[in-house]
Amino acid sequence: MIEIRNLSFARGNDLIFKNISLEVKHGEMMVLKGANGQGKTTLLSNILNFLDPLEGEIIYDGRVIDNAISSKYFLYIGENNFAYDELSLNDNIKYWLAVHNVNFSQEVRDKSIKFLFDELNLNKKFYQLSYGQKKKLQLLLLMLVNKPVWILDDPFNGLDNKTIEKIIILLTKKLENNGLILISSHQDVLTLEHKIFQL
Amino acid sequence: MIKNFLKLIKNEFLLMLRGSIFTIVLFSLLLIASSIFSLAIRNITYDIEITIAFLWIIIFFISLIKVEKVYANDFSEAKLQQYILSPFALEIIVFIKNIMIYLNLIFVFIIFSPLILIILGVQLSYLIPINLLLILSLLSIIFISSMTASITISKNNKLSITSVLTLPLFVPILIFSMALTEIVDFQISKLYLFFIAYFLLNLAFSPLLTSFALKRLSV
Repeated sequence: MIEIRNLSFARGNDLIFKNISLEVKHGEMMVLKGANGQGKTTLLSNILNFLDPLEGEIIYDGRVIDNAISSKYFLYIGENNFAYDELSLNDNIKYWLAVHNVNFSQEVRDKSIKFLFDELNLNKKFYQLSYGQKKKLQLLLLMLVNKPVWILDDPFNGLDNKTIEKIIILLTKKLENNGLILISSHQDVLTLEHKIFQL
Repeated sequence: MIKNFLKLIKNEFLLMLRGSIFTIVLFSLLLIASSIFSLAIRNITYDIEITIAFLWIIIFFISLIKVEKVYANDFSEAKLQQYILSPFALEIIVFIKNIMIYLNLIFVFIIFSPLILIILGVQLSYLIPINLLLILSLLSIIFISSMTASITISKNNKLSITSVLTLPLFVPILIFSMALTEIVDFQISKLYLFFIAYFLLNLAFSPLLTSFALKRLSV
């Protein structure tokens, strides 16, 4: 369970949010909503321990979140691309799975790629992909890296309806497996049961 | 874990190879700078220490530019976030990247070095000692540059100026490189141990400071 108690965050003299408290249990999904600049990404960054809050604490399964906890339990897909433009898709997949210390069989990897892309030339360079394809390649990590908590920043942005449906299938399976999901999103595309937190 | 660590090294090596064009461009600039230096002091009698000092200063700047270029690309916010969430400590990733930059620079320098020495008017008998000296000192230079780069690429531009605080760390390398030529005329000496000791000193705190700066200033 992720529990946030009286969290406040300031950047310089700007108070981004104040006294936020929320709770998400395993098997639940929470969607953070709010206009641009309300601090959705900043709140996610606080939960991931990328940023230090001004006040308050964030607890995961009874322990205050630190680097060790976030790297062991959290998988994060942000808005920006993290893959290397100059590497092929195949090399990018191998590289980022190695970074996350994941071993996979060729069969599992091919199945996952087939599920998300239908068809994909893995020898293409990352920069040759469209915006949506780049996003999908990053979302592939959701299928290959096994961590109990998914934190996704605007995951549906730039994706077509068919891909959104596939991502919803992944989210459903994650919740069935007692996973915990935190999403920030502008779009109301989620057909799944979820909690909403308005910033 | 070890299997993935080796995969990580292999892929970093691949990335390093793809960045070689930029290194070659930088060393081409070194050739041009060496030519201008030679022309500028062609009528003056000077010792080899002056040439070594010139070479080392240029190589320091080349290393700095190369490290900053690699860091700006490889530690962009989105990549850095993934590295922080990796089971491998950021310090280890910083270390691997630094070693790959080192291999890249040293390999290109060894290829270019005969031409550089000819342009600078240095006897080719000094080729092996100068390469050896650079192999030893470049390790420290890269690790010092990584600290500078981690501050320079930070989001907070006001902090960039503080990166010059790391520059004095380069001075001992310069002094000892020049001393080595003056005292023992490049003979194998205990002075070479200084570079190993200085590298070990840098190794002890540089990856820690670099990753601390990356985490605190760039995410």
